[in-house]
Amino acid sequence: MPGLSRLRRRAREHFTGGSHRRGLLVAFEGPDGSGKTTQRKLFKTWLKAEGYDVVTTKWNSSALIKPIIKSRKAVHALSPEEFSLLHGADFRHRVEQVILPALWAGKVVIADRFLFTGLARDVARGLDLDWVLKLYQPLLWPDLVFYFAVSAGTSGRRVMATGTPQFYEAGQDVTDVEDPVESYQRFITRVIREYESLALIFNFITVDAERSIADQHRQIRQLFREGEKRPWSDWNADAVAEWLAIGGGAS
Amino acid sequence: MTRRKPALIAVDGLGGAAIAAAARAALASIDRATRGGVSCWDASGVFEELAVAGADAGPPSVRTLLLLYAADLAFRLRWEIRPVLAEGRSVVAAPYVETAVAFGRAAGIDRGWLVNLFRFAPRPTERRFVDRTAVRGGRGGGFVEFGFEQVPKVMLGATRAELVERMTAYLRASARRS
Repeated sequence: MPGLSRLRRRAREHFTGGSHRRGLLVAFEGPDGSGKTTQRKLFKTWLKAEGYDVVTTKWNSSALIKPIIKSRKAVHALSPEEFSLLHGADFRHRVEQVILPALWAGKVVIADRFLFTGLARDVARGLDLDWVLKLYQPLLWPDLVFYFAVSAGTSGRRVMATGTPQFYEAGQDVTDVEDPVESYQRFITRVIREYESLALIFNFITVDAERSIADQHRQIRQLFREGEKRPWSDWNADAVAEWLAIGGGAS
Repeated sequence: MTRRKPALIAVDGLGGAAIAAAARAALASIDRATRGGVSCWDASGVFEELAVAGADAGPPSVRTLLLLYAADLAFRLRWEIRPVLAEGRSVVAAPYVETAVAFGRAAGIDRGWLVNLFRFAPRPTERRFVDRTAVRGGRGGGFVEFGFEQVPKVMLGATRAELVERMTAYLRASARRS
């Protein structure tokens, strides 16, 4: 794209200039049943009470792409590649329409699942990590990633307590197991294994999600206080520059 | 001369009508006994659904559109292309990979990302290029026309004429390489 180096410079100046509170991106990651949505809600309430302007974005929630994915999930019509590519499109649309505009405006963006969800699930479905990771380029790295770690057993118990997992949630498209409960246990074991690898590679902050809700929330507050002082990551310059090139940041 | 061995024939270009005509010609060049069919874009219906989304959903960027094109191509490979080849027949994919790559390159998307995006698509046995720049509006056209209609000008980063020129140059160079 023409003028990208100039736009990278503009991005750096915007996010490192000290005259205003810079936007922060905080991702909550973890397997189903790890309690991250509960923690995300508590965290959001606390941030707002502390005076932050907060925006939440959830996985698979783009108004443009979500209906396309939903209709295909309903009829079990997605191969692992199609599943991956459509979720990548949903993510890209939210990055351009929700996440970067909010960060540019100095808000805190809480992502209930981020691209690591796509990586963990797609690799658990047998896709190549390198291929999937590149789909998400230009990469936008969160300032903080909280990883809610639970065992496959705990995840299964918590998910089953609220109902039977859906076809794709249970990974029945790849396990060939007819019983959704049994399929879920097999699939979530793979997903957790991938998450644990990603946690090491990408330096997630691991939260022991087997602990009490109050203990976890206290830990998150403290980690956020430490983490918000981190400098803006220059790794994000490409993602912001591309967004500026397609008309983002125009006031 | 008619083609007898099963083949994947890729037809790429800019205008949807010209691609469709070239696809018919490619199909006619295949021996009747091994003639499969033509696989067109949006067989999965993702773009049809995209076109009816409300304006408040926000427009797609070129990158988002290309991810959807790849998802649609994965669908076409699964249901329309690989099964026909497995039966020992030939199939025409119109458009295939190069049309989307040309659109992405013209809009400034880096080559490495595009190569990775379509890594799952097998190399065609034969490539045909429609060297025609007529690009009509409306959804009845091809993928490029659809892209021009869906992606706002500011997100395309150039005028339509400039993009058509860049895509034509890319496709001509690609035709020379193949």
